[in-house]
Amino acid sequence: MIKKCLIANRGEIAVRIIRSCKDLNIATVAIYSTADKDALHVQLADESVCVGGPQSKDSYLHMHNIIEAAILTGCDAIHPGFGFLSENPMFASLVSQCGLIFIGPSSDVIELMGNKINARKRMIEAGVQVIPGSIGAVKDEVEAVSIANTIGYPVMIKAAAGGGGRGIRMVNSQEELMKVFSPLKQEAKNNFSDDTVYIEKLFTKAKHIEVQILADKHGTVLHLYERDCSFQRRHQKVIEEAPCHLLSSEQREKICAEAIKVAKAVSYDSVGTVEFLMDERFEAYFMEMNTRIQVEHPITEMVTGVDLIRHQIRSAEGCKLTLKQEDIVIKGHAIECRINAEDMRRGFAPTPGTITFIHTPGGKDVRIDSAIYQGYTISPYYDSMIAKLITFGDSRLQAIKRMRGALEEFIIDGVASNVEFHYLTMHHAQFIDGRYTTDFAGKWIQELSEREPII
Amino acid sequence: MNQLFKKRKEQISIVQQFFNRVVKTEVKVVEASQIVICDGCKQAIAPESIKANQGVCIHCGYHMRMGAYDRLSLLLDEGTFREIDKKRTSFHVNDFSGYKKKLYQYQQAANVNEAVVCGSGQISGMKVAIAVMDSYFMMGSMGSVVGDKITKTIEMATQKKFPLLIVSSSGGARMQEGILSLMQMAKTSAALARLDEAGGLYISILTHPTTGGVSASYAMLGDIILAEPKATIGFAGRRVIEKTINEKLPDHFQTSEFLKEKGFVDQVVTRHQLKDTCAKLLQLHQGVNL
Repeated sequence: MIKKCLIANRGEIAVRIIRSCKDLNIATVAIYSTADKDALHVQLADESVCVGGPQSKDSYLHMHNIIEAAILTGCDAIHPGFGFLSENPMFASLVSQCGLIFIGPSSDVIELMGNKINARKRMIEAGVQVIPGSIGAVKDEVEAVSIANTIGYPVMIKAAAGGGGRGIRMVNSQEELMKVFSPLKQEAKNNFSDDTVYIEKLFTKAKHIEVQILADKHGTVLHLYERDCSFQRRHQKVIEEAPCHLLSSEQREKICAEAIKVAKAVSYDSVGTVEFLMDERFEAYFMEMNTRIQVEHPITEMVTGVDLIRHQIRSAEGCKLTLKQEDIVIKGHAIECRINAEDMRRGFAPTPGTITFIHTPGGKDVRIDSAIYQGYTISPYYDSMIAKLITFGDSRLQAIKRMRGALEEFIIDGVASNVEFHYLTMHHAQFIDGRYTTDFAGKWIQELSEREPII
Repeated sequence: MNQLFKKRKEQISIVQQFFNRVVKTEVKVVEASQIVICDGCKQAIAPESIKANQGVCIHCGYHMRMGAYDRLSLLLDEGTFREIDKKRTSFHVNDFSGYKKKLYQYQQAANVNEAVVCGSGQISGMKVAIAVMDSYFMMGSMGSVVGDKITKTIEMATQKKFPLLIVSSSGGARMQEGILSLMQMAKTSAALARLDEAGGLYISILTHPTTGGVSASYAMLGDIILAEPKATIGFAGRRVIEKTINEKLPDHFQTSEFLKEKGFVDQVVTRHQLKDTCAKLLQLHQGVNL
């Protein structure tokens, strides 16, 4: 049993993990960079260790310092959260080599799923429907063109090791493909030290649907139904909802069964997410699997009532899941807005600074996961997400209405935030209708920037 | 901080307008019966709270007009009132135009047959003869029937040796009945003189408004004269006097407080204390040592 856990992360997810640890009577150790000594996760954890300088690579990505901190404080586990080292197979294996529990899947699974080409291959073997495209790596332009011609334009060229919206190019024609192929290969080599790229068909009108997976080390794989994360700005999710209200129950069962198939194919044993693209015909294609807890996990927690981090820690300890698939039922609808410190009037540029006043909304079925407080200074070194605002309602419309009310109350002064953007979005007819696809957010932002500012 | 919430409210209203989500509401028309506007402070008050406060405004303490039967239940012990001449109504001798119709309308609306209700009752167990004027009936004006009923009450008090209480609220003599109504001033005054000779006690209670012929006769003839606060008491109207003497009159001219100051009224008593004050006066009259 884990008695003390180091949280190798910062911000709201570190706070979120500390809260679940407190529930489970697990002592917590926070790590922080010199820029983060006032951060909330440092104040809330039982102990805290400074692991390096403000740059992520000197602190939150510095594996040796983090593992050393865990050993010196007598921890028996490390929770990586999301981002940073959460999907780094080397870190996972280092942690287990040092005799600590890595709260997440094994390094092999992380490695397999981290490489998009290998993951695609494995899924094709397992009989999962993947996005049409190359089976493996694409060597050169000639091969790329022939594949693109068979699946049809537009296509996406992706770096195998890429992620988080980086290392992706959208291509509309053969000439364009010839033009971007080599630069992308070079970029991939520079950024991810791996220049393998692959091609996938691009669905312009598609929904991003993902299924939450919960598994243990005893072969139990459960799904916690789907989330709709189609509201994306530059491949970054901004608003998420659970469940996808367009799906019929048969379609929902089908996509969840597909996700279980994916997880079982790699003997998955932790919390993870299988991402699908769903076209207009509600045909779901496997995209990738995230082998970690996700930013948007609270909406699944809201509709299912399951504490995902608690189960993630328990299954990392080797406990058998106490939940059964039939116990997991969706009740109501939840929406999450990521509140970022960014200025919607200046192209969503990050706005670091000091929060001089904050008022967070409250009330029934309103949840805030955040790590900010009045007087806190948002540092420019890290992600600009400062809070997650989650509302729940019996129906989708009620959740939207609650979100509007919550956003009306949400006041952050001192730094610009995208609260107003979310508020405007909550009034957009297409959003309310719910039939928006992944290209909707981009168009909507374009529309907002072109006309006179509303507020 | 306050500013931030205010700014946010403005932003929200702009967005609501932009998305045409402004909620349009109609101002609800509250039926007149559900709300009372105080004549003193012009604020709206629920009828229930006025009733509970005996017709006194809960905001400014203004004493509103009161119907005769409400006044009787305020003053007398419960269930002791015996009315005389309940059904008597005015006749229309000289057939003043529209008078007949007007009488009928007021009888329906004010729920009394005439502008005065007379009879006998008990205040804290002490028998009294009582006449209460109802200003809701033709502004409590004194016609021949009103004068006659009051005279009968005075005579009852003289005969049975009851103390007499008259609660006045009247605009004066009833114009429609002409000289007959003016006659009542002399008639009631003469009856009161006989009461006085017989050694009877007469307590006159002046309420808003007590003016004209009533104030010039029995209202001002009490052995003891009490008045409700801020009641208008006088003979001719304020404007008439101002025009006649070409002088500006003081602000509280013709109010009970002004009359108290000048010695015309013995005491200004609030409605809540009215019964107690009457009871004490009656006890004193009976020789009870307070």
